[in-house]
Amino acid sequence: MTRSPASPPDLGSYVRAAAGAGELVVQPRMGMAVPSEMAAGLTAVAGLAERTVGTITLDSYTRVGDHSAAVAAVRAGKPLNGFPLVGHGPRITAKVAAAAGRHTPVQVRHGSADPRAIFRTMAAAGLGTSEGGPVSYCLPYGRTPLAESVAAWREATRFLAEESRANGIRAHLESFGGCLLGQLCPPSLLVAMSVLECLFFAQNGMTSVSLSYAQQTSPQQDVEALAALRLLAEELLPPTVDRHVVLYTYMGVFPRSVAGAGLLLKRSADLAVRGGAERLIVKTETEAHRIPTVAENLTALRAAAAQARRTRRELADAPREGSGEAGEVLLEARALITAVLSLSDDVGTALLRAFHRGVLDIPYCLHPDNRGAARGTIGDDGRLRWSEVGAMPLLATVGRSGAMTSNRLSLMLRRVAEQHDREASRQAPEPVAAPVAPEPLRIGLIGGGPRGLSILERLVARCAERPPARPVEVTAVDPYCIGAGRIWRPEQSPWFLMNTPAREVTMFSGPSDGGPARPGAGPTLAEWWAVADPENADPEGYAPRVVYGRYLRFVLGLVLDARVPGLTIRPVKARALTTDRGPAGDGTGEPVHRVRLDRGDVITVDRLVLASGHPTNELDEQQREWLNFAEMHPPLRYVVGDSAAEMPLDAVPPGATVGVLGMGLTFYDVVAALTLGRGGRFLPAEGGGLRYLPSGREPRIVPASRSGIPLLTRGRNQKTAEFRYRARLFTPERMAAMRASGPLDFQSQVLPWLLAEMNIVLLGTRLRHAVGPDAEREFGEAAAAVHREEPPSPAALAVLAEGFGPAGEPLDALWRLARPFAGRRFASPAEYRQELADWLREDLADAVLGNYEGPVKAASDVLRDVRATIRSVVDFGGLTPDSHRRFLADFNPVAAVISTGPPAQRSEQFLALLAAGVLEPVGPAARFRADRDLGCFTVESGQVEDSRVRLDALVDARVPSTDLRSDRDPLIRGLLADGVIRTFVNSWAGGAFDTGGLATTDTPFHPVRADGGIERTMFVLGIPSEHTRWFTQVGSGRPGPWGAFTRDADAIAEALLAEAAPRPRSATAEPAGMLAGRAAR
Amino acid sequence: MSPTRTLTPYPLRPAAAAPEPAESRRVLLTTGSSDAHTWNLVYLQLLLEENGHSVLNLGPCVPEQLLVDTAQLTRPDLVVFSSVNGHGHLDGLRAARALRAERSTSDIPLVIGGLLGISPDGAEQRTAELLAAGFDQVHSDGTKPDVLLSYLAQLPATCTERAAA
Repeated sequence: MTRSPASPPDLGSYVRAAAGAGELVVQPRMGMAVPSEMAAGLTAVAGLAERTVGTITLDSYTRVGDHSAAVAAVRAGKPLNGFPLVGHGPRITAKVAAAAGRHTPVQVRHGSADPRAIFRTMAAAGLGTSEGGPVSYCLPYGRTPLAESVAAWREATRFLAEESRANGIRAHLESFGGCLLGQLCPPSLLVAMSVLECLFFAQNGMTSVSLSYAQQTSPQQDVEALAALRLLAEELLPPTVDRHVVLYTYMGVFPRSVAGAGLLLKRSADLAVRGGAERLIVKTETEAHRIPTVAENLTALRAAAAQARRTRRELADAPREGSGEAGEVLLEARALITAVLSLSDDVGTALLRAFHRGVLDIPYCLHPDNRGAARGTIGDDGRLRWSEVGAMPLLATVGRSGAMTSNRLSLMLRRVAEQHDREASRQAPEPVAAPVAPEPLRIGLIGGGPRGLSILERLVARCAERPPARPVEVTAVDPYCIGAGRIWRPEQSPWFLMNTPAREVTMFSGPSDGGPARPGAGPTLAEWWAVADPENADPEGYAPRVVYGRYLRFVLGLVLDARVPGLTIRPVKARALTTDRGPAGDGTGEPVHRVRLDRGDVITVDRLVLASGHPTNELDEQQREWLNFAEMHPPLRYVVGDSAAEMPLDAVPPGATVGVLGMGLTFYDVVAALTLGRGGRFLPAEGGGLRYLPSGREPRIVPASRSGIPLLTRGRNQKTAEFRYRARLFTPERMAAMRASGPLDFQSQVLPWLLAEMNIVLLGTRLRHAVGPDAEREFGEAAAAVHREEPPSPAALAVLAEGFGPAGEPLDALWRLARPFAGRRFASPAEYRQELADWLREDLADAVLGNYEGPVKAASDVLRDVRATIRSVVDFGGLTPDSHRRFLADFNPVAAVISTGPPAQRSEQFLALLAAGVLEPVGPAARFRADRDLGCFTVESGQVEDSRVRLDALVDARVPSTDLRSDRDPLIRGLLADGVIRTFVNSWAGGAFDTGGLATTDTPFHPVRADGGIERTMFVLGIPSEHTRWFTQVGSGRPGPWGAFTRDADAIAEALLAEAAPRPRSATAEPAGMLAGRAAR
Repeated sequence: MSPTRTLTPYPLRPAAAAPEPAESRRVLLTTGSSDAHTWNLVYLQLLLEENGHSVLNLGPCVPEQLLVDTAQLTRPDLVVFSSVNGHGHLDGLRAARALRAERSTSDIPLVIGGLLGISPDGAEQRTAELLAAGFDQVHSDGTKPDVLLSYLAQLPATCTERAAA
């Protein structure tokens, strides 16, 4: 038989082949409204190592024939509970079904009493496998008269059989007769109905059928029922009709607990094997709560298949004795079938007459064509029995046992669920048998920004080099944009710039090597930008954040397309809300993490990586006061948010006076949004620099900060990507030796070495220009040789430098660079602004000289070059508590002003806006106030006379610092409350400083639990661990030798993959004895 | 299909004498036009009958027009809409609008309960929409049956009295 090339393989043959190989075929129920999601689900199911059948479950509008409602719901973006096959039409359906690949059959499951439209669309899409039945999809589930259903099914069955045959495929129908209402129907009627419907199918042209049975209340009775089903099928179905038996995992009220649900699922797989069913349709751990996710379905499929293999091994070891006897169920089922078939030669007509006369009567079925006289009940032995048989040719096996009450009904309906919940909670963890196929290591990655992506990149690169010993499945979760995260997501203002030159940015852990770009070898941002957008790219400059966002998405695309054997990565756009621990995972023997997502589902993982990036914190008292004040004084506004992209800046009206608190990087974003974003333009000015051409829609911008200056301009980059600075005095070795003696005082012990290092560069660069490179080198060597024990003072270095040539004044203190107006008084705002402009022009001139040729910027760049050494001193408790506090309060902001500044372009824009009167900085030591008398915000500089300005709006442009205690992220809060994570408290010699950052170990960065143990199933990378580590807010790797960004990601990837090697594992939490530093105290 | 047959209430009555409450109410029990589940309906019918109320159970997949027609014919004291297939909010909106659009049924008390969406996501918005469409109460999954019984008990007047007023 020639099969249409696009059609999935034949279900009957596939199941037969699996049965021949001793494998149970497992199948989910799965239906998504959106074609791409449906397709992804099918691909995932088909991708499992188990023998699976893909399922397209239809939504309930399609089921009742309301295709317009289904389409309307999809258009309106309203969620549907399945795939609206008819609404989507054959073309889309065929494309979706093709996602299962060429080797996995696909079945359409629907529940319709009139499947004609569904089968028509299926046939046109090249699909021939479905299920249902004239009774099983009519009486229990709708109000279509049975006669109409029988007629529709007769026509539809014939159509599907013939049309499929014409298409070169063999149609297959599965009877749903083994379910009926799912509960409280004694097995004999289920078996009879399955056989009768399959006879109906066969009579109407089907040559391949499956007979169903749903797991009930008694395993023994269920085995009997399955035996009866097989026997009657052999007796009654024409020998030419291909057939197999399919078992449904329990269809009634499902256990609420994950363990209980898992137990019931495993029992169904066990039953399938013992009862001789060839296929199993599973339920998931979360069945009781909602429609399961793809991941939960995959978990269920794997668990079922694994249990089936265990049972098969057990049976091989200990052959069963007579458990396959059909007994009572067979007798009853045969009596029912015989009675029905005696009513007419046409099975459809016989079924109609049977229900009319009450020869068939489904207990508790509300359909008007059902007699409603029969009742099922659960006996003391757990078996389902008839308490009322009505007109059926059966004997009631239990006497009338009193009226059915709502309470009794409810108890019976919940019996199986509660029994399994109870048993599972009592059961000790089952001894883990050696798995036949290795269970995958499931990893949850929370945060899809650059940090998360860096881990994915290394996972793929490592797996490509060496496939993991067992499968690894990563679910990457981010509510904004997987790959780019919130800060870099491609949908934001094009005016927001990166802070690092495009040439110095890469997300690949290795350079392009001539081969295709792939994890481990790919272009830098600059290289990619030049090719991706040649018209607008400025590869030598600073890319807009949107461009980096697109680059990150490009990298993600390569990561997802890599298709490395053994590694699956699934991006999920959702917010992780909570996580808790479940029972031991099959894979690792350790409690799994169950992460609940805001879209309602739960992902179950063995390892959890937290890379959630910039925090969103609770407002502090001052901020709350300002917010209340603004709300009580409309139209006054207080705008607060950690990122300008999220601020409602459009609400600031033109001409309004808007104060901006903070003059850091967010300040530049705010200014860009309020000027460029409102149609203003910067044009080249005569005599250099820029001038601003306003649009007229700008507000008046009044920025203020502690220092009264913006960030220092980034020096023009003159260092290649491969450049690595070699320190003379502030060496990693010296710092390591100092740290070995115990916690340090940064200000007195570390900073002098750092300052000396900067002075060596400052003075040395001047010597290079005045005398030559030899003088610079000799000065550096001399400085290193002379000052071995104590750090040299700036004056001492200046004296030493004088010996080599004119070297000028040293830098006497770091803060001087960042606080040029310290202690100054200005007679008027105009005077301050004049000086500010002069100072910034000078800074720009320094920047133009460059970060190698310009003495000042070369010295400033030392802070960036030795960042890793500073980290080696500070991270994991390297400073005393008191020094750590002062390091964060004093050094950190000064270092930020000096070394994290914007490109020259931004400083030039600052000057142009200053000249245009759009920007009116207030002055140093600025204080913002909510003035109750004036009913508005004001700002005033403590160092500038007459500087008070009334504000119509106040924009808070400070970037909130990591502090878990005020973090609004529910996941972080929950982990903190549960004691799984804790803040890093730097404590030493009686002092203690709670940093607010997440306490972790050194590589590979496990969280430290509240009880001091190490949470080895979790990893933390980036900003949440700020303060435990320093300067984690880095969103890109650098080309050339690996920096910390790539090294840290690789360390986590390595640790995760090491866990993918099957080996015995120790306890989850163990005392933190051998930690680097004191993070675990 | 014949509407009279469809209206046949499910003949499920407790054998024991039902408690005689102060006020016996007439309840029209229904579900969404796309909802095929019936155990919830069977249970609610038993529960309401045990508490002395009379129940007309419309069964699964109730079209809006059937609901409106039946409500016009029978003038129940309360319409209970129970749904568990995840489309309850969509079906419920249409049912409420249909009932509220008809003068004669616009004032019949109307409550909804069950699993109303396919995920917990957006439950608050769903509730707000359902209330706005005309439901008097919206009950999430897990609400105790007492809530429905006490709501019935406190209904101020029978339908006929309302019609007269």
